[in-house]
Amino acid sequence: MPTLPMIHTYRGGPIEQVVLPGETVGLWINKVYEFYRILYIEPLFRSPPLTINLGAPAAAAVTAVIQATLLQMPDLEFAQLRMEVLDDVDVIVYQGRADQRHKLQNVVATLSRFNALFDPDAHLTEVFEFEDNYLFLQATNNSGYALTQARVVFWGYRYVLEVLPDYNWAARRLPEVWTRIPATAHL
Amino acid sequence: MASHYYQEARGIRKSSAIIAVAVLNQAENLFLVGVGRTVIIRKIIIWNGQAANAIVSIGINVFPAAIANIIPNILAIVGFDSEWQEDMIPEVEINQNITVASTVAGIEVQIEVEEILI
Repeated sequence: MPTLPMIHTYRGGPIEQVVLPGETVGLWINKVYEFYRILYIEPLFRSPPLTINLGAPAAAAVTAVIQATLLQMPDLEFAQLRMEVLDDVDVIVYQGRADQRHKLQNVVATLSRFNALFDPDAHLTEVFEFEDNYLFLQATNNSGYALTQARVVFWGYRYVLEVLPDYNWAARRLPEVWTRIPATAHL
Repeated sequence: MASHYYQEARGIRKSSAIIAVAVLNQAENLFLVGVGRTVIIRKIIIWNGQAANAIVSIGINVFPAAIANIIPNILAIVGFDSEWQEDMIPEVEINQNITVASTVAGIEVQIEVEEILI
């Protein structure tokens, strides 16, 4: 009997892994789901090596869209990440340099130091990154003065995968039970 | 029983630089408020190392405009520090830069604010 997947990503509360080893995931990449089996999972600690500094923006300045190469995953691995902004900047998350996440029709939601007030576990910040489908970050300094740094820290889980070649989204050959992982922006 | 009550945080805590008032009776910036933000003063520390008592005003507007107080004036006595905690400071929410003026130059002032995202 197959194990039921935890199909509820972005869950409230402290971060938890969304699947177990042996379960099947479909990763949303390039507008299709690709299917894999989970082989192995381990945590990624919230720590200085997982902290990205987006620079020192002047008052009212906007940084470039910065590729988060620090978070690149090896082949056949994806990460489940939550993030917290540590300095007083508003951050936009991209997945694909021009593909904004967390967007509405006309505006894009931003992350800041204030989010921790309303979302202490940062569950709304959860993102998934597969291999080198990079996250990109852009910071705006909305404080009234220049900042010396603009840091974002990450934590979460690392998932090691094996390919399931029998399944194909385009041909509609789908696993019976699988968990959908939004690993890129939905354009 | 404690005389204060617990209040949920509405924003993030920040502090101003230590401002040594440059010219007597001329208001200057004390804390710069961010775009789309408001602030509430939570702590005030004033040090008077000068030769005369000073009346320190905290408010809005910079010189040449006159300061418009957002809390009453504070008397800073020679050789003393004045420390005001949030229990004693009125909950005045301001959406523009906080400024300071003093009747004696050289008075040092620092505030802590709760900055709130609107």
